[in-house]
Amino acid sequence: MNEEGGRAENDPPAAESADGGRQWLAAEGPGGRRTAFSLRRGLARPRLWIAVCIAALAVGAWLILRSGGAPVDNIWLKMQERGSWRVGMDPSFPPFETLDAEGAPVGYDVDLARQIAAQWGLEAEIVAIGFDSLLDALLVGRVDAVISAFPYNARMTKDVHYSPPYFEAGVRLVVGAESAYEEIADLDGGTVAVEWGSRGDAIARRLQREGAGFTRLPFGSGQEAIGALVSGASGALLIDGVALRLAQGEGKRMRAVGAALDEDPYVVAVSIKAPALQSALLQALATLEEEGELGLLEERWFGQGEGRE
Amino acid sequence: MIGRFTSYLRRKSDAFNRITPPWPPRAVELVGALLLCTVFGLTYRSYFRNWVPLGPQRTVATINPKMGVHTRLTDEPDAAKIKRSLEMVREMGAPWIVEYFPWAYYEPKRGQYEWSHPDLVIDHANRQGLTVIARLGYVPEWARPEDSHHLYLEEENYAAFGRYAVEFVRRYRDKVGYLIIWNEPNLSLEWGFRPVDPASYVKMLKVVYPMVKAAAPEVQVLAGALAPTLDPPGSEWSMNDLDYLQRMYDAGAAGYFDILAVHAYGLGFDADEPAGESVINFRRAELLREIMVRNGDGGKKAMITEGGWNDHPRWTRAVRPAGRILNTVRAYEIAHAEWPWLENVCLWVFRFPWDQKSYQDYFTFVDTDFEPKAIYLELQRYAQGRFEAP
Repeated sequence: MNEEGGRAENDPPAAESADGGRQWLAAEGPGGRRTAFSLRRGLARPRLWIAVCIAALAVGAWLILRSGGAPVDNIWLKMQERGSWRVGMDPSFPPFETLDAEGAPVGYDVDLARQIAAQWGLEAEIVAIGFDSLLDALLVGRVDAVISAFPYNARMTKDVHYSPPYFEAGVRLVVGAESAYEEIADLDGGTVAVEWGSRGDAIARRLQREGAGFTRLPFGSGQEAIGALVSGASGALLIDGVALRLAQGEGKRMRAVGAALDEDPYVVAVSIKAPALQSALLQALATLEEEGELGLLEERWFGQGEGRE
Repeated sequence: MIGRFTSYLRRKSDAFNRITPPWPPRAVELVGALLLCTVFGLTYRSYFRNWVPLGPQRTVATINPKMGVHTRLTDEPDAAKIKRSLEMVREMGAPWIVEYFPWAYYEPKRGQYEWSHPDLVIDHANRQGLTVIARLGYVPEWARPEDSHHLYLEEENYAAFGRYAVEFVRRYRDKVGYLIIWNEPNLSLEWGFRPVDPASYVKMLKVVYPMVKAAAPEVQVLAGALAPTLDPPGSEWSMNDLDYLQRMYDAGAAGYFDILAVHAYGLGFDADEPAGESVINFRRAELLREIMVRNGDGGKKAMITEGGWNDHPRWTRAVRPAGRILNTVRAYEIAHAEWPWLENVCLWVFRFPWDQKSYQDYFTFVDTDFEPKAIYLELQRYAQGRFEAP
C-alpha cells in the first residue's frame, strides 16, 4: 500500500477534514460570495444538527420503503373494487371468439377469460374492440387485458406483459396419424401439400431451397391441401396450427410432428404496470394447465382430434 | 530579478536537453504511425459504419414495365438492408418504387437539411435500375403549432413545405423524376385531424408546384394520392375520393400537377370486379380517370402509388393467399394491357423493417428478415413470363 493509501485508510477523517470539510460544504453563492456554513459551525448548533439527522432518516426511510415495499397495482385494485376483469377481444375469429345468434361473445378465448376470472372470484367483462386497436385499448387502460388469439410481439415488451402462450398457431409439419414420418428429412422423395401462397407454402419453398428433397404440391385452398393429405395424394402437409386443430376436430386423422416451423404463439396481454395482475395471471394459467382445463377448453371449441399426437 | 529568472530557465532547459529519450527513435516513429492508423481507422469506421458498396449498375428484367411497389424504407436505418430490399425489388421484376421522404426527418430545423438517409435509399435504388417516385409530407415541429399533429400544416407554411420540396429536387433532380405532394388529404387523420379541405390542398399545390418547376422543370409533380373511401358527405373522418377529386378541379388544380396519384385497393374483390361509385375495388381507378377526362385533363397520366390485396387470416377485408396472388398478377396485367393512361402500379408494401403484428404484415411481399413470401416468388415468375397458377 502506498503512503497516500495508508493515510486515507488509517487516519480518522477529522484529522484532515477540519478544513477539507469546510471546503466540502462551502458553496459558491450567485455573486461569488461563499455561503457562511461549515461542518464545524453546523455541529456547534445542536438543533440544526438534529433536524438534519431527522431529515436524512426520513429521506432514507422513504427511499427504502419506496424501493423495497410491494408495488401498488392499481389495475388489480380496481378490478377487485369493480368485481370484474375487463378483457378486450375482437369477436371475429371463430372458434377463438365470435358472436352467437343473440350477439353475445362466445369461443375459446371467452371461456378462457371467464375461467381465469373465476379463479380470482371476479366476472370476466368482455369488451369488443377491433383487432388493431386492442393494444392501444390496453395501453390507455380501457381494458385490463387482451385475450383475442393475440400474438406475442417482442417489440412491445417495454409496455406490455405477455403471459406464457396458451395456443401455438404457427406452421406445423403434419402427417397422417399412422404415418412413419417424424421430421423433414424423412420426406425426401415424398410430397408436401400446401395452400398456395400461404405461410406453409413459403416455408415449403424455403426448405426446398435449403435442400429438402420433397415435391411441393400447391392447392388453391387449405381445405384442398388437407384433403390431399387425408386422401393419401400427399404424404405430408404444411399448415398453421389453427387450421390443423380445426381439421383434427372434424375427425381428420392427422398429427403434427416436430416443433412449429414458424412460431406464432397466442398469449394474454396485460399492462406492464400491473405486477399483481401479472402474477395472478401466471398462477391462474398454471392452475388451468395442471387441472387439464386448457385441454378441455381446446376440445370444447375444436373437437376431440383423435390420434392427433 | 529578470536576469536570475532567465538564468534559471536556461539551466532547466539545458537539463531537459540532456535527458536521453527512453525509447529509440524507431520505436517512437512506430508508435506514432500506430496512433495515426488508429485515428484514421476510427474516423473511417465512424464515417462509413453504415455504408455498403453500391455495386455495379443493374437493370430490371421484366415482361411488364408497369410493375412497382411501395418500398417504405423510411424507418430502415441499416444500409445493407436498404440495399437488399432494393435488390429484391429488382430481382422480383418491378422497375418502379414509391418511397416516403418525410419533411420532418430531413429538415429537422428550419434550413438545416440531413440528407444521409435519402442519399442511401436513392443511390442504391438508382444503382439497382429502379425509378423512384418520392412521396413528401410529415411536418416538422418548427413548421406547426406546438403539440399539433405531425400532419397539420397551416396555409402560411405551405411555402416552407415548398422550400423543402425545392431543396429535395435540387439535390436529387438527376435521380428522382417524380414527387408526390402530400398523402391522402381526403382523410382527416392525414390532414392533421382537421376537417378535410380540397380547396386548401389545391392552395398547397399552387404554392409548391411553381416552386418545384422553377427549380427543376423536368420533375413531374403528382397530386391526389386520395384514399378510396365511401364515407357519406359531411363525415368528420373523410371525404369520398371521387367528390374530393372533382372539388380539386373546381378549385383550379388542373394547372398545378402533372400526374394524378391513385390509391387502388382491391379489398375483398377480384381485380376484374367492375367499378362502381358505391364500391371500393381495384377498378375504382377508372372512375378517377373519368373525372380527369371530364375536367379536360385526359392528356395527363396517372400512377397507382398505393394499392393491392391483403391475405391476413382474420382481417375482414382480406382474401385468401391464392386470391392475393391471382389478383395482384391480374392488376399488373390490367395496367399493362388495358390502361394506357396509367404509368405504373406501385403496390403496398414491399417490406417493413419490423413486424407490425397486425393485418399490415399481410400486405408485404417479403418478411422483415428478407424471407420471400410465396407471392414474391410468383410475381418474380410472372415478370419472367413463367407464371402459372396451380
